[in-house]
Amino acid sequence: MYHPVSGNVQNFAVQRIEMPSRDRSFVPPCQAACPLRMDIREYVDLVAQGRIMEALQVIRSGNPFPSICAYVCTHPCEESCRRSQVDNPVAIRALKRFALEFGGDRMIQVEARTEYSERVAIVGSGPAGMACAYYLRNFGYPATIFEAHSEIGGMLRVGIPRYRLPREVLDVEIQRLIKMGVEIRTNTRVVSLDLLFDMGYKAVFVTIGAHQSLRIGIEGEDSPGVIDGATFLREVNLGLKPSLGENIAVIGGGNVAIDAARTVLRLGARKVTILYRRSQAEMPADPAEVEQALEEGVHVQFLVSPTKIKRQDGQLNMTCIRMELGEPDASGRRRPVPVEGSEFNEEFDTLISAIGQAPQTPGDFHVRIGRGSTIQVDPVTLSTNRRGVFAGGDAVTGPATVVEALAAGRLAASRIDDYLQHRYPSLDKGGRETLVGNLLPKTMEMIEKIGRIEAPLLPAEARIKEFGPIELVYDWETAVNEARRCLRCGMGAEILFQDKCATCLTCLRVCPYHVPYLDTTGTIQIPADQCQACGVCVAECPAKAIVLRKPYDRRHVSEELDHVLKSATESKVNPVIIGFCCQYGLFGTGTLANLWRVAKAGIWIVPVLCIAKVEADHLLRAFEMGAQGVFIAGCGEQCARENTVAWVRNRVQKARKVLSEIGLEPNRLQTYVPSATSANPAEWLDRFVEQIGGLYLASVIMQEVKVDNR
Amino acid sequence: MIIAEQKPLQEIRRMISPYESVLIVGCGTCMTVCDAGGEREVAFLHNALRMAQAKGGNETHHFLEFTLKRQCEPEFLEMLVDKISDVDAILSLGCGIGVQAIAERFPDTPVVPGVNTSFMGISREQGVWDERCAACGDCRLEDTAGICPITRCTKGILNGPCAGTKNGKCEANKDMDCAWVLIYKRLERLGQLEKMRRYYPMRNFRAVPRPKRLVKTPVVLGEDNG
Repeated sequence: MYHPVSGNVQNFAVQRIEMPSRDRSFVPPCQAACPLRMDIREYVDLVAQGRIMEALQVIRSGNPFPSICAYVCTHPCEESCRRSQVDNPVAIRALKRFALEFGGDRMIQVEARTEYSERVAIVGSGPAGMACAYYLRNFGYPATIFEAHSEIGGMLRVGIPRYRLPREVLDVEIQRLIKMGVEIRTNTRVVSLDLLFDMGYKAVFVTIGAHQSLRIGIEGEDSPGVIDGATFLREVNLGLKPSLGENIAVIGGGNVAIDAARTVLRLGARKVTILYRRSQAEMPADPAEVEQALEEGVHVQFLVSPTKIKRQDGQLNMTCIRMELGEPDASGRRRPVPVEGSEFNEEFDTLISAIGQAPQTPGDFHVRIGRGSTIQVDPVTLSTNRRGVFAGGDAVTGPATVVEALAAGRLAASRIDDYLQHRYPSLDKGGRETLVGNLLPKTMEMIEKIGRIEAPLLPAEARIKEFGPIELVYDWETAVNEARRCLRCGMGAEILFQDKCATCLTCLRVCPYHVPYLDTTGTIQIPADQCQACGVCVAECPAKAIVLRKPYDRRHVSEELDHVLKSATESKVNPVIIGFCCQYGLFGTGTLANLWRVAKAGIWIVPVLCIAKVEADHLLRAFEMGAQGVFIAGCGEQCARENTVAWVRNRVQKARKVLSEIGLEPNRLQTYVPSATSANPAEWLDRFVEQIGGLYLASVIMQEVKVDNR
Repeated sequence: MIIAEQKPLQEIRRMISPYESVLIVGCGTCMTVCDAGGEREVAFLHNALRMAQAKGGNETHHFLEFTLKRQCEPEFLEMLVDKISDVDAILSLGCGIGVQAIAERFPDTPVVPGVNTSFMGISREQGVWDERCAACGDCRLEDTAGICPITRCTKGILNGPCAGTKNGKCEANKDMDCAWVLIYKRLERLGQLEKMRRYYPMRNFRAVPRPKRLVKTPVVLGEDNG
């Protein structure tokens, strides 16, 4: 048997052409759509590889309170996900929740040091205020949150029902804030900003939310038994149990209306009816939640609007009118038009009106108020008309989403930092080009359709009995399979060395998705918005001119191989067997990866992101450095790509030819692709090890014979 | 495009065995396209040679690799000048032309060929190439409907088909189309069947002097008044 030539180690490293490790990828549509600009593609990819703790780190670095988003985010990312052009969007929110639960988010500690003496007051403890405090503490400013209610969290606490956001989750994040040194003053209503400046605060962030319900504007609206949605949810969420009766109506079609209706159900009402003046398609509420509400038994009457309320014998007699949809209005939705003579009466015990909310800013704040009672701010600096006073969140935008509020809080923190340090506001660090453009039909056609796996929900009957969380978390295997659906937009291949490209058209011919094309000048182009980053062209390009835009930095196959070979040599275990294993899917998760590990000693795994990225060079390299056996294990039938195995087999053949030319048994190099009919990986591997062990033993004996003969 | 295939590893090892330090030089044009000597093949051969040596245990070669854009241009070869100072031999993965160009430019360094230059041809599909031109220097494709009987007819006859054609295939190889049947069909399609009636005199290949040289000088008849 041969032994590694130590001199060659250096040789290889020096001569290998340095690949650029810079991330040249484009911003994927999910990231572009996220108000926080989270690196969604990155963490979904990490989940797909089963690297949950790293995924959690990526999530934590881009979001101050990811555990909250994991429950209640409206996920604009999913709406823009390009997978929806193929089948359905990737379940990004549910994957985030999985990463948080399985990655050990509760163990994460945050710390902050005070570096500046300028104190900042934050008026309101909603998501925007909390995010602002979080980032201000990160920058090193002392921050104080003032909250009028007895508990902090703003709408997260008093608006969102507990079944959607468990209070423990919110409390954990608040505890972190307190640990970071954020001063919290509950039951403290700020009536004047001048007082705050008198108390020594140098800047104020006003984020008082939009808690004031809009009025319907009909007769009898102030009768007893009519309550507004925001007040109702606040009372329930702060522990009161309003007496509502048996038969309840909710007016409105937004998330507050749905939340109110489902809360009413959980309080034990017999019948809940939502009255909405448009049809289901126009409902601003999250469609999934509407669906869940219907499952739970909420009745919805579409195209109905109340016109009069009369209180009679402890009951509310409501006159309604039917509507029909007319021309689209300014919001793009079709305007409801009353149908004459279609009035009808219905009786309810309680009526909850949830037709929208607006901020209510105390006049003593002396900040300029604009349309819809919102605070007017400069969109870039978030500063109001008062010096040192900044505003953000629902108070500025009107009722919006949690993630938008978090983004506003983060922006406010950096703007307050700029203000206090007398800096010109630094611009958003965008820089990288945004990826737009839809998938072409011919690309789409080649992408394997794998339906979205929704996170499991409790059955509807169980849900309405209590306020516990209704959505369950993925199990490991489901999460990985869901994450593998990600198309990894914008991190595909590019011809980095145009001068090397011989326009041989190999990439055009080997691409499984028909992405590369010849432009009118005869230059080959690989459009970044179509490439699926499978890496086949990278490994096949005879000029080595193509690289992936995102080179998987330290995960690059060659480096990983060098690292593994070094450990293998140091361990002095014989025989050494190197396996290139696909990290997408089950090899990445503990399940199969452990199988390889517990099999007979001396097996070293080189993790690769799809075996199509393993080049024939890597196989020879492993042998050269002393491996007695090498195998490539793909993910088989679970593979999200087509024909990867065919390319791998070609390369294996090429390397086997060399093996036999220099007198090694070609069987030392094998491919393992799991399928329903193939042996289970552990058995297969044991057999392979035995085979290699036999060859190894034979070669040792031969060598001894040789030595004797000398 | 010039098509070549890499020599067997054994042969390459035999050729380089006398030399300790070997520079493997790839070619970035035809040899890259036909997958015989581009940067990827250079790296692969480099790995294979190192591995063979690791297994043998007796040889102590030292390899360097470099891929030129084109080996058949003297200017590109200048890039090798400071690379060959302590090299014992060059292993060229260029076509026969590249090997000779290196031999001419570096008279004191031995050069060995790493590929067998095969023919001039076209790509059929990924990894399949067909010969199409013999570079005879006397192109008759106008008369033969764009199909070359010199390369595509086994016998290379100019007045075909011969009696060995059967069902449009060649008697030498039942899977190979008879070039002259192809020529006939295409002439028929073009409405130029009269070209089949012509007789083409035999060509005297011995009269073509070798090596050929092509000098491109603009020749314009007439007086120069400047």
